[in-house]
Amino acid sequence: MTTARNGNPSSALQPPDAAVSVLVEGVSKRYGKMRQAEKSTGRDVGRMWALRDVSLAVKKGEMVGLLGPNGAGKTTLMKCIATLLEASAGRILVENIDVAREPLQARKKMGLVTCDERSFYWRLSARENLRFFGALYRVPRRAADGRVEELLEALGLSEAAERPYHSFSTGMRQKMAIARGLLTDPEVVLYDEPTRSLDPVSTQRIREWIRESRARHPEKTHILATNQLTEAEQLCDRVIIVNGGRIVVQGTVPEIRERFGEADQSLHRLVCEGVEGCDLPPADPDAGVWEISMERTGDGAAVIRLVADQRGEGLSLVLAAILRQGGRVLRCESGQASFDEVFCRIIAREQTAAGAAAEVAS
Amino acid sequence: MLRLAYSFFRRDAAIAFSYRFAFFAQFTGNILLLGLLYYVGQMIGPRALPSLDRYGGNFLAFALVGVALTDTVMVSLISFGQQVREAQTTGTLEATLMSPVPLWVILIFSSLWNYFLSAFRFALYLVVGAFLYGLHLGQAHMGSVLIIFALTVLCFMGAGMAWAAIVLVIKRGEALMTLIVTAVLVLSGVIFPPSVLPGWLQSLGALIPLTDALDGMRIALLQGASPAELAGPIGRLTVFSIVFLLLGVIGFDQAVRIGRRNGSLTQY
Repeated sequence: MTTARNGNPSSALQPPDAAVSVLVEGVSKRYGKMRQAEKSTGRDVGRMWALRDVSLAVKKGEMVGLLGPNGAGKTTLMKCIATLLEASAGRILVENIDVAREPLQARKKMGLVTCDERSFYWRLSARENLRFFGALYRVPRRAADGRVEELLEALGLSEAAERPYHSFSTGMRQKMAIARGLLTDPEVVLYDEPTRSLDPVSTQRIREWIRESRARHPEKTHILATNQLTEAEQLCDRVIIVNGGRIVVQGTVPEIRERFGEADQSLHRLVCEGVEGCDLPPADPDAGVWEISMERTGDGAAVIRLVADQRGEGLSLVLAAILRQGGRVLRCESGQASFDEVFCRIIAREQTAAGAAAEVAS
Repeated sequence: MLRLAYSFFRRDAAIAFSYRFAFFAQFTGNILLLGLLYYVGQMIGPRALPSLDRYGGNFLAFALVGVALTDTVMVSLISFGQQVREAQTTGTLEATLMSPVPLWVILIFSSLWNYFLSAFRFALYLVVGAFLYGLHLGQAHMGSVLIIFALTVLCFMGAGMAWAAIVLVIKRGEALMTLIVTAVLVLSGVIFPPSVLPGWLQSLGALIPLTDALDGMRIALLQGASPAELAGPIGRLTVFSIVFLLLGVIGFDQAVRIGRRNGSLTQY
């Protein structure tokens, strides 16, 4: 086991693997300086850690989604990979280049697509902006102009290429960010919330473009940090869920559903009448009732949200309770829990566990 | 690298020309300033101040060279910090940081347009001074002028980079910069010769490279001194340039590292 610079132990560093495009090993990130007392004791107050001992590997050609609630550490991790932030411990290799030791070389391998629409020169045209960033990113002169035109064309911006950037819509600006991220034809593309604040039509177009781009260049590696789980589900081969600076779970979406036991559960939404004061069965997995909650609606009805076993025992139990107490079921919608719900459940469990651990520690 | 330098120049020229009114108003202001100096000079009269004898005795010539060179110095001193601050507030810094080019190189290239304008204004001051206000520059030693100009730019480029490093860390340093600039202007003799200052302030002024730069430039332009005759100011400016450039590059590199470590690079 190696000891990281901040004095905390990190996982053993492994030799680089040729099939791995991005390797993150025992990476921690702490904002602010560590106090001398903490250095000597190896303890810390734990409030300033944005990442804690994060390890992951992304294979060449893979697209991995980085998911997590706000403040989970997704952007910090993306910025550490992109050399914009220095990790406090651990190492990151991009195409076998250590980003801390050789940041300039590592940047040649990466393209970063951010959601910050301010990050262009507003008085310049789209073409002028992209040509400038092409030179800044050291795209060879002969290739640069062709690459700019190719990206403008591919993203549907050719006709607006001479218009000043300030006249662009949010969707067009986001496309510009994608074009800039791809200017160098990078081996690794980092997307940091590429569809944030876009309308559904623009969002769908950008997702389709990313999907087509992957199909055209299957050798490229993509990491997508997003809050939109549908996006990750649609685009990514694998997802990594981060919370409180740690990796909570990683795998394919079906794997995660199965692992968290949701594959044998159904979600029911019962719209009822006359259920005020009804005693509903409590959550009891042995009885087939995993989760149950009731919410009143404005028109005197109530909606019961029920996560129950797929055999129907839990649902029968709840329906029988409602009918026995004089309630009426107006409508019942059933299906599998969405990935959003699975995600929320994972984060809730994680937070409960973290809260319990903190209580024990105190 | 030349292509990259040209890309920065073209970008900044395009942005500057997109604000046409501000662009031309700036030059009109420069010419009006010359008028102001001319009439102050008329009021003082020729050979009225013995402290100007070293430079030919003409106040307009003395002040004009001072203002012209100080313009270039201010670009060096302020422009780098301004570029950093602007990139932070406009949000372009993060995209710039993804470049495989060292940031201090980008910083210098970001100021090329400002240097070009400053050199243009320097020439404009002299030409307008000569044609409109009868300034005599016939005896100027152009070799000495170029050496002093280049050393002044290099020296204050280093100081400007050190300033940009401070801006990266403390973000808002305008008040501190105003204090420094005012002290430099008073002590180095931009509008009046340092010899009129009390002895202890003159000693303090001697530690500022602008004092040597102004003295050397005035003697080269107005008295036609050769580089050999200006060995003193040239030598001191060379030492200042090396020290400030090293300080600037190392300081800026350290500031970027601090910013990367604490995540404050793009904060403003």
